[in-house]
Amino acid sequence: MELQDPRPSKWQLFRIWASVGLQSFGGGASTTFLIQRAFIEKHKWLSMEEFTQLWNLCILTPGINLIALTVLIGRKLGGAWGIAISLAGLLLPSAVITCLLAAGFKTVENLPAVQAILRGVVPATGGIMLLVGLNFALPLIRRGYKEGALYLLASSVLIIACALAVILLKLSVIVVVLGAAFLGALFFSSRSAPPLLGKEQGEQQ
Amino acid sequence: MINPLIYFLLFLKASLFSTGGFSNLPSLHQDLLANAWAKEADFGQSIAIGQISPGPNGLWVISLGYLTYGYLGAFLALIAITIPALLVLVISAGYTRIEHRVWVRGAMHGVSLAVVGLLLTVVWTILHQPGVDWKGLLIAAGAFGLALSRKVNILIILGLAGLVGYLLYR
Repeated sequence: MELQDPRPSKWQLFRIWASVGLQSFGGGASTTFLIQRAFIEKHKWLSMEEFTQLWNLCILTPGINLIALTVLIGRKLGGAWGIAISLAGLLLPSAVITCLLAAGFKTVENLPAVQAILRGVVPATGGIMLLVGLNFALPLIRRGYKEGALYLLASSVLIIACALAVILLKLSVIVVVLGAAFLGALFFSSRSAPPLLGKEQGEQQ
Repeated sequence: MINPLIYFLLFLKASLFSTGGFSNLPSLHQDLLANAWAKEADFGQSIAIGQISPGPNGLWVISLGYLTYGYLGAFLALIAITIPALLVLVISAGYTRIEHRVWVRGAMHGVSLAVVGLLLTVVWTILHQPGVDWKGLLIAAGAFGLALSRKVNILIILGLAGLVGYLLYR
């Protein structure tokens, strides 16, 4: 792989990641967009193809995909130091602002006006969360259509079963996830499913 | 009293068994409430703060950490969401060897479905809080519709919801 730009200095790497973190509002999609613009278009440290390969690995990693992506890009551009600097750049400035906002909120939370505002904001977060769930579900449903009615039905049943297991049976979330992985391996493996890599790319929450 | 080690391990566990920024919520919700280390209201509020602050979505847990355990909580939460991401190094080394086994794909499909189901429980939990009445449900539906259209910024949606809340409940 030819790099068109010389590798970044530590300080430059930190600044780029900090600006990605501080400019991303509204979650994953905008962060991914900013990363692509900075590392592929502006500096040409990565090709789009490489980016896609890295992203697919991140989908398989537990936790926040974007942080895993930061680890991989950091390693590519600066080894172990690159990882540390990239993580610090993406997370620390944003985390400090999040903390300050939470602290500011703590001082006003008991004001009646703030309570009233919250009674509007909190259900709105519920509505937004429903959309997040729907975004997760769409690629799965699309795949269900391709694989046939039985596959689609089994997928829907598993979604609802997982939700009910937590709400009604109060099962531990970890048990539900491991159970779903086991059931998935049993029931969804026999199909000639398309390869996972390349499938879910570009799906953001 | 909060035990910092167990508190940290609960955040780490939630993060290790999640995919994406919000799917650690159900696990944290279960564990922190069971220990009485968080109030129900902390969750909706942290998500709202997370939405209006910069950075990846998953940083909402930092405000959960702050609201439940101050700056130490925020710091522990930050460490807890960073560690699982480092596993990508292990995965990039090992995945190419097992990616073609059929059971891996089946299991991943199962996990993805579980994530959707778990997010539904989060929606249910948020909308089941004591402060949410039928007007709150309408606000939720409106926010969902506006977000679905993808034409309105999330910040504007939350701002509108706050304004409606202020007018309805003050």
